[in-house]
Amino acid sequence: MKLINTKMTRIAASTLAVCGALSVLGTAQAVELEVSITNLTQGNYFTPRLVVAHTDAADLFEVGTPASTALAWLAEAGVIDDEQEPASSGQNFESVLGPADTDNGSNTWHRFGGLVAPATTLTYTFDTMDKPLLSLASMLIPTNDAFIGLDSITIPTEPGTYSYYINAYDAGTELNDELNSTRTDITGVGGTPLGGYAAPGVAGAGAPPIAPSMSVGGTGVAAQVGVDMDGNAIGANEVVDGTDGPVHIHRNTLGDTSASDGASDLDSRVHRWLNPVAKVTIVVPAA
Amino acid sequence: MKYRNTKLMIALASVALLAACSGDDGEQGPQGPQGIQGEQGPAGPEGPTGPEGPQGPEGPEGPQSAFAAYTLAITNLTHGQPMAPTAFILHEPGFHSFAATQSASLGLEILAEGGDPSMLISEASDAVQFLDAATNGALLGPGASSDAISLIVPTLDTDNLRLTVASMLVDTNDAFTGVDASDISNLAVGQTMMLTLNTWDAGTEINTETASTMPGPAASAAGGGGAAAGFDATRDDIIDAVRIHAGVVTKENAMDASKEGLASSVLDQSDRFDNPSARVTITRTR
Repeated sequence: MKLINTKMTRIAASTLAVCGALSVLGTAQAVELEVSITNLTQGNYFTPRLVVAHTDAADLFEVGTPASTALAWLAEAGVIDDEQEPASSGQNFESVLGPADTDNGSNTWHRFGGLVAPATTLTYTFDTMDKPLLSLASMLIPTNDAFIGLDSITIPTEPGTYSYYINAYDAGTELNDELNSTRTDITGVGGTPLGGYAAPGVAGAGAPPIAPSMSVGGTGVAAQVGVDMDGNAIGANEVVDGTDGPVHIHRNTLGDTSASDGASDLDSRVHRWLNPVAKVTIVVPAA
Repeated sequence: MKYRNTKLMIALASVALLAACSGDDGEQGPQGPQGIQGEQGPAGPEGPTGPEGPQGPEGPEGPQSAFAAYTLAITNLTHGQPMAPTAFILHEPGFHSFAATQSASLGLEILAEGGDPSMLISEASDAVQFLDAATNGALLGPGASSDAISLIVPTLDTDNLRLTVASMLVDTNDAFTGVDASDISNLAVGQTMMLTLNTWDAGTEINTETASTMPGPAASAAGGGGAAAGFDATRDDIIDAVRIHAGVVTKENAMDASKEGLASSVLDQSDRFDNPSARVTITRTR
C-alpha cells in the first residue's frame, strides 16, 4: 500500500509540470503516520492499543458520558475485537467500528498487539485513510477499569512531529475493588469468578504476566469483600460489582504495602501513578 | 582670522616706514596699533577618563545585536515540597538532559537525589547543541517564585530553540520537576511564554522515603536529611528509567488495617503533590 502510494506521488510529481494533475492525485493519497506510544508509569502495563482514524461520526469515549459496552470491554478486560475474546462478539469496538484495517467510511482502525511495559515506547505505522481525527484507547493493568485515552485530536496536515501527553480515565463501569482476579478464595456475587468484563477484580484478559506477581488477601478498596455498597452483609467471600459514574479522570490506585492482607491487592509503592500516564507522538511525513 | 590680522599689520608697518623717510624729523608720531597675538601655549596634561560610551549597534546589547536574551523564572506549585536550585538550559534540538524511559545521567542522578544542578549543567555544556545555562542558586519554598535569571543565545538560534529545566523536590528520594527540550522557538522580543512542569522520578533510588535517604527538611526533622542523605551512587529503584513520578506514599495509614501507607516513610499527607508541580515563565527581552 505504502509503496504504491509513494510511486503514485512520484509519478504525479513528475507530471505536474506537464499537466498539473498533482492536486487531484495528491488528495487521494493516504497518510501513513508514525505513531509512538510511551508508557510514563512505573508499574502499569498498557494492553493492546486501539488506534482509530475517524470522522466526527465516530467517537471512542466522551468524558462526562457513560461508557459504551465496547469501552467497558476495553477498560475492564483489554478486549477490542472478536479475535482476542470471542465472547465479546457483537459488543466490542470491532462490532461498533467495522472490520480492522479497512476504510469503514466513518473510521479505520488497527489493534496494535502486545503490552507496553512501564517506561518503554513502542512505535508503529498507521494508515489514516485520510480520516481527519485520531483517537486511541488502551487499558491500564493491573486496574479494574482504568484506560489511557486520546480523544479525537485533529490529525496535523503539516509535516512534522507532534506530541500529546495523555491521562488515565476511569470508565466508570466497575467498582475499583483492587482485588487480584487470580484469587479463588473470593468470587463475585453468586460465585462468579473474578476477572474480565462484567466481573469484579483487577487485570483481566490482557493481563497474564501481571496478576501472578500481585498481592493477595486484600479486603477491597472501593468495594469490600462481604458487604454490599450499602454496608449490608453478603456472602462472606463475595464482592459486588457496580458502576461509579460516567467516564472521568481516574482518581488513581490506592494500593497497600502488604503482600497478604491490607485493603488492596495492588502495591502503593508500585501501582500508583500521576497524570500524564502516556505520551503519544505522531510523525506526519512530508507528502 | 589670524591670517587676516597679519596682513593688516604688514600694511600698517609699511605706511609708517614711508612716513619716516619722506618727511623731516617731526615730533614723535602717535602710538602704533597693538601687536599680533602670541602663539597658543602647549596643551595641558591629559584629563581623567570620561564615562564609558554606549555600546555600538551590533554589540551584545545593541539593537542590532547578533544575540537574543531571555529572562526565566520558576514558581513552586506544590503544597509543601521545597525545590532545590533549578537548572535552566537553552540548547539546540537533538540534546536531552533527560528523557522519559531512558536511564538517568550521573548529573541528573546527583540533581534528583541531592539537589545539586551543577553537574547536569556541566554535562549540557559539553554538548555541541549547548547554548547557555544558569541556576537561580537558591532553595525555593512552596508557592514561591524565583528571581529571574538571564540567558543569551545567538539570534540565529531563536527559530529552533529548546529549553530544559530541572529541580529536585527535596522531600523525596529522587523526584524532580522539569521539562525535557521544550520547544520555545520563534518568541518575539517582548513575548512571554509559560510552561507547566510535571514531576519525574529519576529512577536512580528506590522510594523508601526514609530520613537517611532524603536531603530535605522533612528528613532533617526526623533526624536525617542533609548532604549525607542526598546523592548515593547505588541504583536500586524498581526500574532504572526516568518516568512520571507516582507521588509520595507517605506514612499515613501505614499502621491501620488498610496498610496503605509506608511504614518506613517520614513524610505525611502534607508532602503529597500532583502535576503540574512547577511553572516556568520565559520572556525574550531582545
